[in-house]
Amino acid sequence: MHFISGWRRSAAVITAIRSLSVKRLLCSVGSEDDTIFALSSGQGRCGVAVVRVSGPASAHAVRSLTRGFPAARVASLRSITHPQTRELLDRGLVLWFPGPGSFTGEDSAEFHIHGGPAVISGVLQALGSLPGLRPAEAGEFTRRAFCAGKLDLTEVEGLGDLIHAETEAQRRQALRQMAGDLGRIYQDWRVRLKRCLAHVEAFIDFSEDELIEDGILNDVDTAVRQLQTDMENHLSDQRRGERLRSGVQVVIAGSTNAGKSSLLNMLTQRPAAIVSATAGTTRDVVEVPLDIGGYPVLLSDTAGLRDTTDSVEQEGVRRARQRVEQADLSLVVVDLTQLPSEPQLVPVFLSEHLKNILEPSSHRQQCILILNKSDLSSAEHNRSIQASLACSADVPDACFLSCHTRDGLEDLLTLVQNRLKTLCGDPLIGSPTLTQNRHRTLLQKSVEALHQYHQYRDVDLVLAAEGLRLGLSSLGRITGRVGPEEILDTIFKEFCIGK
Amino acid sequence: MLVRRLRFPKRLSTCSTASDIHTQHYDVIVVGGGHAGTEAVAAASRVGAKTLLITQKIQTIGALSCNPSLGGVGKGHLVKEIDALDGVMGQAGDWAGIHFSILNRSKGPAVWGPRTQLDRQRYKDFIQSELLSTHNVTILEGSVQDLLMTTADPEKPGRHKVYGIRLAHGGGEIHSRSVVLTTGTFLSGTLFIGQNTSPGGRMADPPSCAGLSHTLKEVLGLKVGRLRTGTPPRIIKDTIDFSLTRIHLPDPSPTPFSFMNTHTHCKPEEQLPCYLTYTTPGVERVVKESNQHNSHIQQDTKGPRYCPSIESKVLRFPGRQHQVWLEPEGLTSDLMYPQGLSMTMPPEKQICLIKEIPGLQRAKISTPGYGVQYDFVCPTQLFPWLQVKSTQGLFLAGQINGTTGYEEAAAQGLWAGVNAGRTSLSKPPVSLSRTQSYIGVLIDDLIGRGVTEPYRMFTSRAEFRTALRPDNADLRLTLRGFEEFGCVSEQRYNEALRVQVSLNDALSALKSIHLSASRWKYKLGDVNISETKSSILNGVDMLQYKEVSFQMLASAFPELSGLYLEFSERLKAEAIYSPHCEKQRKEIERIQAEESLYLPEDIDYLTLPVSLSQEVREILDSIRPSTLGAAARLSGITPAAIVHLFNYVHRNKHRNRSKTVGVS
Repeated sequence: MHFISGWRRSAAVITAIRSLSVKRLLCSVGSEDDTIFALSSGQGRCGVAVVRVSGPASAHAVRSLTRGFPAARVASLRSITHPQTRELLDRGLVLWFPGPGSFTGEDSAEFHIHGGPAVISGVLQALGSLPGLRPAEAGEFTRRAFCAGKLDLTEVEGLGDLIHAETEAQRRQALRQMAGDLGRIYQDWRVRLKRCLAHVEAFIDFSEDELIEDGILNDVDTAVRQLQTDMENHLSDQRRGERLRSGVQVVIAGSTNAGKSSLLNMLTQRPAAIVSATAGTTRDVVEVPLDIGGYPVLLSDTAGLRDTTDSVEQEGVRRARQRVEQADLSLVVVDLTQLPSEPQLVPVFLSEHLKNILEPSSHRQQCILILNKSDLSSAEHNRSIQASLACSADVPDACFLSCHTRDGLEDLLTLVQNRLKTLCGDPLIGSPTLTQNRHRTLLQKSVEALHQYHQYRDVDLVLAAEGLRLGLSSLGRITGRVGPEEILDTIFKEFCIGK
Repeated sequence: MLVRRLRFPKRLSTCSTASDIHTQHYDVIVVGGGHAGTEAVAAASRVGAKTLLITQKIQTIGALSCNPSLGGVGKGHLVKEIDALDGVMGQAGDWAGIHFSILNRSKGPAVWGPRTQLDRQRYKDFIQSELLSTHNVTILEGSVQDLLMTTADPEKPGRHKVYGIRLAHGGGEIHSRSVVLTTGTFLSGTLFIGQNTSPGGRMADPPSCAGLSHTLKEVLGLKVGRLRTGTPPRIIKDTIDFSLTRIHLPDPSPTPFSFMNTHTHCKPEEQLPCYLTYTTPGVERVVKESNQHNSHIQQDTKGPRYCPSIESKVLRFPGRQHQVWLEPEGLTSDLMYPQGLSMTMPPEKQICLIKEIPGLQRAKISTPGYGVQYDFVCPTQLFPWLQVKSTQGLFLAGQINGTTGYEEAAAQGLWAGVNAGRTSLSKPPVSLSRTQSYIGVLIDDLIGRGVTEPYRMFTSRAEFRTALRPDNADLRLTLRGFEEFGCVSEQRYNEALRVQVSLNDALSALKSIHLSASRWKYKLGDVNISETKSSILNGVDMLQYKEVSFQMLASAFPELSGLYLEFSERLKAEAIYSPHCEKQRKEIERIQAEESLYLPEDIDYLTLPVSLSQEVREILDSIRPSTLGAAARLSGITPAAIVHLFNYVHRNKHRNRSKTVGVS
């Protein structure tokens, strides 16, 4: 076995690792042997969507979804079918880029398909059903390109920001999905699986010295089986899952009486912002699907944020904060007349105010500051505030607006449209099917790992436990990581471990 | 083979008195003669450093302050690793053990827990004779008043530098390049029994000087916390009615800890049994009655959750029956140690309590149980080589770093000793990865996360549990110990090489046997190979089956027999786990790559000109991880932050290279 000689060669390996450390670091976040896929075009009004595949199983993916393998680097029109159900998903262009002469240096392929959500989702699900394929992690295509020497370090400088943006987008997207019933289901599984692992770990680490009932492993067997059944049922039921809200989520937030609702009304009445439907009022958060400059937007107006003792209003404020946290873009409305009279004090005041309104995790670039009621203060005063803001690095893009006179509305819409353009260029934003797809794959992996538990249960308990660890880490990528400390906490809560 | 005799020098020539010692200069001074201190002294001398051990009482060197046992699940892993690095503990256990057993036999060799009950006197004798006969080691009985400090070497990280110690009671100064503090529970230690408290770290020993504690806190500005622990009363053996308890026999054939031993000192038939009994509702009643007279239990200092006093157990889990193990204290000792009955209530109540336990109704206590509270230095202030980040030349190991247990202390002592020795000889420090050893897991957890309760090793803490096995500790550590760390003797190294070659040969031989499933069935008899398997299986594949042993294969294939039979258990373990280890290899490589990238010590995270959130900056600033790998494992650190840090470090690589140390 190489494992033994592996230790022997450690010195040589270490040297090799060092010289490769740059690459390894960035390259092996996921397994390099995996083949990854992702939607790589933006959403919005796009007629064509591009799904990219990269990795050793790319050729297999092309063969599984189409007939007649395309020539290298030639766009070929093909029918795209689901490999298992044989259902026709779309007709589109398929491109084959054999490695190393591809963007990532690996064998890769592109499917240019119609841009409808059903088609995209169908193709992604078809790819996810193939062995060895999984949805790409944040920044993974770029990482692989870097590993293959297709990018230099200066280009990778931006990688951190890219990964940040993508993980943030995924996080927000996941938050939205997790807020509903689905979230409760996932959390329940996490707790159950964590408990199973804790019981097995307790049995491994303590049963020889402590009073841990013999039946505990049988209980775990039953619990794991039940969990598998629940997860498998859920996976086969996925298509009839929750309604997913799509579009860039834009939220209007701010203190009470800043003019939030006026802004919403104004935006929904403008010809540039066409109200496509009127959604139900969710008691406190008003949601309006809009089309701004061709980009799908879900605009929501929230309760004014203030400390209150009124319990109904408290709940409104809590939901408002939750909505802000989930949003792709926040429009923070501030009453100009409430600002400090000294213009040089305004930036500090505003940055404190923003901290209060946006959760600490939210980022500046996801926010536009709207200084409302500009008609109530003098043009000269506004100019000096503007000058003061221009010198401050702590305050995001700001624009003056009067909901009363409509002054500044065009500027605001331009600003919003530019942001939407960037946001929609990122294929992860506002596309719940992608998150859903990622979750699906992770759940599938988790279920497979639970099979490993049963497979090894009577052979070797350590390997069986590895199955639970693996299952929990896959599930943890949806619900948050579970570390060894959390397992130990669970153990000590349930068992009296004491020699 | 354990053939040697204890080498007690006729005269304690290596023990010096303060008067003839203080003009001398040492490479390393180790303060404290417990499990951390003794391993530190031995390790420092093995890497070639001239080493001085200062202890309050030479008599208590190697004393087992609490339980008379060694090893277990997780802890046994540590003992095997200490032995693989040529430490003392494993061999001492083989010499002093009187009840050997391998825990978890039914659970897979990755979590087997070699364990033994110890004869206290034999253990101490072995450790003392080992140190007294070690070349390069001097032992001094005395008390340390303070550290000697000077200005830091500007070429290295740190604000202070240690150059020796000052002895208490006008004992003068002794100079050294490195100092290892292993003060155990003696740092501002307070003893508790009932409502009485007194200064001290262990009953019957004088408290240590307040000066050291003051210097660590006030001069070096180290963050300290407070922890507590306790020990049970000792019971007179003749007063126990063993007929009311359940006898627990050792393994009929004792397995030694040390890779260098084939036998234990104690003969199989000389081994002593342990006894198991249980608490009763009466115990709960006594605890509740005595609660108001128990100041230790009323304080909210953090105690361990997994080795709690009987008081905490009863209060946290009322209405349950708790196990009490009665363990022998030695071959000739007239005492028994009641494992599970650690308590701090007044002595008269302790007697009431034990009388409620079957078998102990007429038992007499020789010394009552008591509690200790002590200061520990928050271990996030240490480098992976256990040096205090702010102070050049100062190393900490053992309970002072917030751990509990002999094995945890010894593991750190060994590692601090290796590095104190190396730095005193101007060699670069070395660290161990958590991907390769439990010692690495221990140190990485301590310095990366800090502690909130006394830290004990469990196998559940190791991500790569199937690779970090007790059976392969020599292959993981002995070879590197000789080649890279310089703490392993040539004799041990050659033995490890022999083992490695033999194992590889045996695995090759196994792999070269290819048969179809039906042929295997024919050869091995009633092995349950699934009928659907039509493919060809090799010998290693077969060894993965639960009912197949290497002996079975060896009797079916003569070419396997003879040479490799001594490794049959190891081959089986290798076969079972190798596919899984292979799957984890990539993850291991990634972690090692991250760990090989050192973050410069002088980084100011709060103003670092890269895109990091304030939250991330504050976490990095407070923990100050040594490597990118350590940073990546901190909670709250995002993948993006790691990429940014990586870019920053990489850009500045040429500048940092001089400060980077050669570690893996």
